[in-house]
Amino acid sequence: MLHYQEGASAGWRASLDLAFFPSGERTGLSCRHFGPLRVQKPFYPEGETCHVYLLHPPGGIVGGDELAIRATAREGASALATTPAAGKFYRSAGPLALQEQLLRVDRGGALEWLPQESIVYPGARALSRTRVELAAGASFLGWEMVCFGLPASGAPYDRGEFTQRVEILRDGEPLLLELGRYDGGSALLTEAWGLGGRTVMGTLFATLDDASALAAARGGLCSPAAGEDFSLTWVDGIAVCRFFGSDVWSCKALLARAWEALRPHALGRPACPPRIWKT
Amino acid sequence: MIAGAGLVHLMRLVSPSLPVGTFAYSQGLEWAAASGMDSEDKTRAWIFGILEHSLARLDVPVLARLRAAWETGGDAALRHWTAVLFASRETAELRAEELQTAGALARLLRDLGVTRAAPWLTHPRRTYCLLFALAGAHWGIGARELCCGYLWSWAENQILAAIKAVPLGQTAGQRMASLLAARIPELVEAGLGLGDEEIGGAAPGQIMASALHETQRTRLFRS
Repeated sequence: MLHYQEGASAGWRASLDLAFFPSGERTGLSCRHFGPLRVQKPFYPEGETCHVYLLHPPGGIVGGDELAIRATAREGASALATTPAAGKFYRSAGPLALQEQLLRVDRGGALEWLPQESIVYPGARALSRTRVELAAGASFLGWEMVCFGLPASGAPYDRGEFTQRVEILRDGEPLLLELGRYDGGSALLTEAWGLGGRTVMGTLFATLDDASALAAARGGLCSPAAGEDFSLTWVDGIAVCRFFGSDVWSCKALLARAWEALRPHALGRPACPPRIWKT
Repeated sequence: MIAGAGLVHLMRLVSPSLPVGTFAYSQGLEWAAASGMDSEDKTRAWIFGILEHSLARLDVPVLARLRAAWETGGDAALRHWTAVLFASRETAELRAEELQTAGALARLLRDLGVTRAAPWLTHPRRTYCLLFALAGAHWGIGARELCCGYLWSWAENQILAAIKAVPLGQTAGQRMASLLAARIPELVEAGLGLGDEEIGGAAPGQIMASALHETQRTRLFRS
């Protein structure tokens, strides 16, 4: 994890530590923050589960900024975290911007990590790392959506560096490791073996013990539009959905539908979309 | 350049007649061929793109570490790097392929008297790379040569899959083989130069293709 030392970086540093724990009929939240990263008062639209919105008032990060979020769901806790707005990796004058998420779920705990998309601006230099540490018997559902550039505004992702690392471990053993390097203007963005010219990608991960639940969830998925791809696979107890396309709303709609289809199997409760997704 | 028995063992290890069944797998190429990859140019871009962005950055440095671990008896390193590689296979079909081909190579090596292969026959995190590394260490094949052989056997298998699935002619396949001769040693050097924290890479289109191949209607290949 990142360590925050005075003077270690010229940019903004912010961190947020969230701990979810059972508290009577509901899941309680304790939180500590440093710098411009906050959480709104939690609410409970479906009873037990604690819904929280993470706020980052600067709205984006530039080179040299370091953002770290740690969230832990204790045994018996159930929590859903989302964000009200897209995250942004702005153009960097040189230094790397870091965004790091460490998500921990204890046995019998459940955590959903469903942020809005991240937009990688032309000229950004950024590393996003998400590490999910699960105990045996922990439930997790999370997604990441990335938009490269702002092609509709005439600002394609033609230069820059973006690295996305995802690590999911159970009892310390790696279940799924991904390391994607997306350099602005590179062949990986345009070639068929890469993103094939699509500028939006989304990935959803869900703990799912049982292959028969996968078949049921597959039946609940929507088909992608022309020029988009959408897939579902299952690796060592993790269901993985992937989207490639160029329309972030389509990405959100397909992943939200997959979330609805998978949530009853992954967490044992029906979908209850956070209100903020509708605004 | 190696000579003598090590070289012959390397040729045997990368021969398509090695009875491990890799010919049954296309790793998403069959889906790509059914979805617009209809020419030699597109196929070459597909194979070389995956080679550069996935195998050179992931399999090559892991293979070298596994080979070194077999030579020095580093059990913890063997378990660590094969677990890393297995967890880096992003789809059900890519993992099923690892388990099948690694199991077949473990059985073959055990039957040839390489007893260290036996515990991995049924290990849930076994990878083809792990057993390929054991063969290399056992038969005295150097790290660079072993990595070149690994990339060559992967690429040759992809070319054979493309000849059937795209389809392409034999000469088109041989043109790609000529290019591989120049490119593979460069990619091996690049992969061997990576530090532990830099290891990893992916060709996103191949991952998507492999996942979509699971539900492809007409299939010749198992991945």
